[in-house]
Amino acid sequence: MITVRLVQSARRNQTAGWALLGAGALLALMLPWLVYPPIAVDILAWALFAMSIDILFGYAGMLSFGHAAFWGVSAYATGLAAIELGVPFPLAILVGAVSAALVAVPIGLVAVRTHGIYFTMVTLAFAQLIYYIANRWSSLTGGENGLQGIPRDFVGLEWSDPFVYYHAALLIVAIGFWVAWRSVNSPTGQVLVALRANPARVRALGFSVERYRVFAFVLSAFLAGIAGGVYAIGHRMVTLQDLYWTTSGEGIAMAVLGGTATLFGSIVGAALLVLLEDFLATSGIEATGSVTGAVFVLILLFFRGGIWGAVSAALARLRGTSQDDVLERPPPTGPAVPPSNAAEEATTQGSDVK
Amino acid sequence: MNRRKTAVSIAATTALGVSACGGGPTALGDDQAISNGKLTLAVVTDMSGTYSALTGKGSLEAVKMAVDDYQEKYGSDAVAQEIEVLSADHQNEPDIANTKARELFDRQGADAIFDVPSSAAALAVADLAEEFQRIYINVAAGSTDLTGSACNEYTYHWAYDTEMLARGSAATLTQRGEKNWYIVYPDYQFGQDMTAAFTTHIEANGGKVLGTDATPFPNDNFAASMTKALEIKPDVIATMAAGSDLTNFVKQYNEFGLAEAGIELAVGAMFDTDVESIGATQMSGTLYTTDWFWNQDDEAREWADDFKARLDVRPTAVHAGDYSAATQYLEAVQRAGTDDADAVAEELDGHEFEDMFARNARVRSEDHRMIHDSYLTVVKEAKDVQEAFDYTELVETIPADEAFGPPSSSCDLG
Repeated sequence: MITVRLVQSARRNQTAGWALLGAGALLALMLPWLVYPPIAVDILAWALFAMSIDILFGYAGMLSFGHAAFWGVSAYATGLAAIELGVPFPLAILVGAVSAALVAVPIGLVAVRTHGIYFTMVTLAFAQLIYYIANRWSSLTGGENGLQGIPRDFVGLEWSDPFVYYHAALLIVAIGFWVAWRSVNSPTGQVLVALRANPARVRALGFSVERYRVFAFVLSAFLAGIAGGVYAIGHRMVTLQDLYWTTSGEGIAMAVLGGTATLFGSIVGAALLVLLEDFLATSGIEATGSVTGAVFVLILLFFRGGIWGAVSAALARLRGTSQDDVLERPPPTGPAVPPSNAAEEATTQGSDVK
Repeated sequence: MNRRKTAVSIAATTALGVSACGGGPTALGDDQAISNGKLTLAVVTDMSGTYSALTGKGSLEAVKMAVDDYQEKYGSDAVAQEIEVLSADHQNEPDIANTKARELFDRQGADAIFDVPSSAAALAVADLAEEFQRIYINVAAGSTDLTGSACNEYTYHWAYDTEMLARGSAATLTQRGEKNWYIVYPDYQFGQDMTAAFTTHIEANGGKVLGTDATPFPNDNFAASMTKALEIKPDVIATMAAGSDLTNFVKQYNEFGLAEAGIELAVGAMFDTDVESIGATQMSGTLYTTDWFWNQDDEAREWADDFKARLDVRPTAVHAGDYSAATQYLEAVQRAGTDDADAVAEELDGHEFEDMFARNARVRSEDHRMIHDSYLTVVKEAKDVQEAFDYTELVETIPADEAFGPPSSSCDLG
């Protein structure tokens, strides 16, 4: 069983895992000294966003091209809550994330009925729909001017300093990371992985495929919402860009570069792309798209499992772990979605057995 | 030869004060007058996105030209002996503009930021100017909010805005006898605002809007609008479309024979770069308002020649606006004797001037709007076009006092 073997391999990796976690936490605390603090906040937000996509894509095999909707809806909801209601920013972010999750429910219910490229297209369509609504509804969203000057209030402390805000963002995003990690390393997470590999068998075991898919979708949207809220408060503004499909694309690129189904690869992918974009802004290079594209191609050529995938494979080889464990991870690229069987889906009445 | 002292650095990260002090000015208390011993101008612009031709490296070059001219003019008497020009490419993403502008003010000691296309980015930079108490002179964004609800004492609006465009085209054309209008606009805020502004000025001048047509955005099929226009026969059909929508609109205006039917075409917001990409043949006869075109007179042409020698293209109105903004900023620093933002702002406020870009110009202290003459222009007949970018012909000059709206009541600079 996949589940059993994953758990065994997880135990063997535990020590290494704690060491890695410690190093990561240290790096996270040092980050605002290493890079400009607002950039550090961007890295956090994008990392969680990419991770939310990874949960869906890497684990459950659903490639959403509409996550900008959740990032953006949350960003606007966060901004509006802070501007109009004057709520402190942690609460505003929560309002944003919950809004994103609520928006995700109807979209998820429709989208999970489709598979593969159709799922991708349906999510993209919903996201674009929301983009156009936001563009038209300028009395609420500020249209192309966006929401500006979002307050960053919370008892005491000088939050306007990005350095200070980074630490609040780190805490919030870390909670998001933990929720993500907990979700995929739980029985539910195992079902999601199984769903990706063989939905028919999961159904035969008595699980409701649709219900798990919707759950994964809404959870992912909630995490994307936290990320969007942290970003909106970080920039103290929200623009239509946040709802545009390129935002979804950027999140996917980060998840893939970091390594799908690795969860923490998203952090690496986000850091890489945010720093690259920041560098390009002052590099004097005009062909920014070409540079980003070239980096993308090169990384995927040389690290087929993304950066994290490649590194963990190398570490596993060093430790002499069997190749089997490395291959335990779902294949890195392509949503290996089996052809759906309409008849089968229609007849299934799964009940959740845990 | 007047040796250039500009320490220009494109890569902000490698910005060094490479001062090539040829004659070597005596240190006249520079340290107190200019913070950090050097004046830092920054151009936050779009080098790689949609607005790269309209703004982009041309905007950066224009600011560098202003610095060179300032140093040539004042030599060793210049208050700012060492001037650095930094730039950041926001790739048409407001978030990047926000972070980069913050970094420029916060970490790189930028004393003033120029340009910043598209309103979301401009509004973000205006907020930062207020936070850091440094100067931001907007040139590329057209939102009247910058001198309205979002105004602040460190932000200036130097070139066109939506109100100027509406006044130039709608008011002037109506006064010239084009009484009946039909307006087609993309259905989002810019289109709605422009249509409202056009309608106000058309009606205030005794004209009538026979109909308006909101189109989706983006849109490539304007057939219904064209048919309707042929039916109701307005004097002018106005479009608020931009980019590829504008291209499609103009093509269909020609295909449906509206020009032959005596219906004139007015475009809400248009730049030389649009004519260049659509082609003068398609565009000829199109009316639009601008606050500068390079072929308007000898002074403008002379500057445009310098610009062309540097970048091999003709400057847009935005580029000229950046030159003017940087020049007047440097002049204000010179008059103030310091780069302190409050002192410079005081020098700018109420200042009256003339330069290559701005005629009969005055910086309004009430809202920091720089008012200047604007021009109703028409795209030349293709046969009259002498060279690339020679597309614009003057129809009428709109004097500075009438070119812009009055100070907004929502702006209070105290």
